Amino acid sequence: MSFGLPLRLVRTASFGLALLYATLLAASAVILGFIVYATVQASVDRQMDARIEAEIEILTGEFRSEGSAELAREVETRINYFGALEYFLADADGKRLAGSLSNPPATDGWSDIAITEPQHGKYPKYFRVKTVHLDNGYRLVVGDDLGSKDDIRRAFLGALGWALLAFLVLTLAAGALLSSAFLRRVDAIARTAEAIIDGDLGSRVPLRGTNDNFDRLSATLNRMLDQIHLLMESLSQVSNDIAHALRTPLGRLRQRLEVARATSKANSKCTTTIDAALDETDNILDTFSALLRIAQIESGTRTAGFREIDLSKLFETVSEAFSAAAEDEGRTLTAKIAPSLNFWGDGDLISEMLANLLDNAIRHTPQGAHIEVSLVNDGSQLVATVADDGPGVPKSDRERIFRRFYRVEGSIRTAGTGLGLSLVAAVAELHGMKFCATDNKPGLRVTLIFDCGVLNTRRPRSQGSRAIDHDLAHAAHEIARRGSERAEEGAIAKARECTPMRMRAGPSSTFLTV
Amino acid sequence: MRVLIIEDDAETADYVSDGLRRSGHVADQVSDGREGLMMAAGGEYDVIVVDRMLPGVDGLAIVKLVRSAGIKSAVLFLTARGGIDDRVEGLEAGGDDYLTKPFAFSELLARLNALARRPPLTQIETVLRVADLEMDLIARRVRRNGYDIELQPREFRLLEYLMRNADRAVTRTMLLERVWEFHFDPKTKIVETHISRLRSKVASGGQQQLIHTIRGVGYVIRSPS
Repeated sequence: MSFGLPLRLVRTASFGLALLYATLLAASAVILGFIVYATVQASVDRQMDARIEAEIEILTGEFRSEGSAELAREVETRINYFGALEYFLADADGKRLAGSLSNPPATDGWSDIAITEPQHGKYPKYFRVKTVHLDNGYRLVVGDDLGSKDDIRRAFLGALGWALLAFLVLTLAAGALLSSAFLRRVDAIARTAEAIIDGDLGSRVPLRGTNDNFDRLSATLNRMLDQIHLLMESLSQVSNDIAHALRTPLGRLRQRLEVARATSKANSKCTTTIDAALDETDNILDTFSALLRIAQIESGTRTAGFREIDLSKLFETVSEAFSAAAEDEGRTLTAKIAPSLNFWGDGDLISEMLANLLDNAIRHTPQGAHIEVSLVNDGSQLVATVADDGPGVPKSDRERIFRRFYRVEGSIRTAGTGLGLSLVAAVAELHGMKFCATDNKPGLRVTLIFDCGVLNTRRPRSQGSRAIDHDLAHAAHEIARRGSERAEEGAIAKARECTPMRMRAGPSSTFLTV
Repeated sequence: MRVLIIEDDAETADYVSDGLRRSGHVADQVSDGREGLMMAAGGEYDVIVVDRMLPGVDGLAIVKLVRSAGIKSAVLFLTARGGIDDRVEGLEAGGDDYLTKPFAFSELLARLNALARRPPLTQIETVLRVADLEMDLIARRVRRNGYDIELQPREFRLLEYLMRNADRAVTRTMLLERVWEFHFDPKTKIVETHISRLRSKVASGGQQQLIHTIRGVGYVIRSPS
């Protein structure tokens, strides 16, 4: 879209095609032209020769019947005719009797000669001549100016050139016209695609009702979009159904455990078991809630909660809330927050995003680690970072930490759903932020770029529904793994441990753009 | 307190009303929205617990109607749907609190207690007292036994919320929502840390502890009896 219209026209397939046809047609026109030209030239040559032959025939007859003097007179007369040929008549001694041709060839037959005459400038004139010897040593030469043939060639080539030029201009104009029509149709499709990417799933390619190729393609695309829309709707329906289907029985399980807990004898083994079961149930429910929440955020329907928020105040509140807890856990948390920076977004979700980053930093660093939160305005955008000096994350794993259930190999198995940073990614995408994880040398640095240039009503790609069934499978796997870890350190548990986590394929660049 | 439970899931309704009765409260349960609306409109309940999704009438509609009828009963929404939009919608319809299913009974009870004994809006308290601990809300000053206690602004809000709910248990999530306005549950022990700091400030110099932990529920501030 950044190119001007002329350049875009030239880059279209139809214009390229028009250009190709124009070149091929021009080439065939040139070939045709030269064939015609050669034929015309040959015919002109034949006519010239025939005329000279005829002239010689007449003059030879004259010579035979009337004699040399009469022939000389006849030649002098003919010289003055309009469009006359060139003549030369000499006696046996070579003395000129009549005619204007200078220095003609002495041998009989056809030849082309060049004559430089002062009145014609420094360029010679060319003549085609035929020499015949008459009786008594008389020599007659008749010739014609080849310049007339040049005139024909020049006229012909000129005409061909103009025709070619007109031809090219017309072809290019037709190509441009065709291409702009083509571009309009393509642009209509592109606009529809953009609208769909922006979340308007009901958008369709407009039809012209002409039933041409484009209309048929558009209709096919529209049918495909209808189908995708239907699938997406049923997927989100399915994910909602799963959420309800699983949360309701889990909720009842929790209620029953609580009733059992309330009615069991205090401090008995039964009570501790029920407490552990309640904890496990809460963990499972947490995982489901987090998954559904991420899916809900990713579906992009939560922009209703967007307001103008004081981002500086929000960052201060969250980092202040965490700093004392971090200190109690043996980490230091410092905040460098520029004042009065505003942003358009969902304050609750951004608080949760920052809290998850801080949770993550506190949980994955050793005692004595230093964590720094910063928020600055770098002119055009707000840049937030959460950096620690802990063990960090290997380069190859840095993008994956934002995926669901991802854990860095060899990291301590800590409590949590494994979904904290996925929520960070989902909230960032909802707000059109860019985010990335980099090396803090040592440690991990997560950078968030709040772009204030756009009002963030843009909806993200809906990955939620696509990923949900996959994620539920993960959740089941994760729950099974935790369960088995607690139950026994048996072979089955070990086998499950070794099962590699399936990952969603993601972009290969370190910077994840939205 | 008198509680009306409008909930179509019988098991949840039984669980809530059994729990409330065991805790010494009066609980009426109804599974149909229209019937619930009739009972709520009587205005004799301290708190109405209403499910967002009901057969017949939508939970939001019930609360709007109850509020337009001038009923002052506190309203707590229950829902299987979690999320900020739902919470905002519920509060805008006239709800006072919101709890996502499934929930711990202790969480529900703590919230109902907080709702039922809200002081009337007309009565503005300027000083809160628990035993010899005194909080001046105008001067933003806390004194115990005649000595000033220096508090951070957030600690002040935390103590204020505890004191406004003196003798009633408040849960971690209630504190997160009311003191920090966090509508999510951080993994880091934010509440525990702040409570422990507040506790040591309030009970400095070997004074008697006023802030207590109730296992599995939350915290309470009360006079030593």
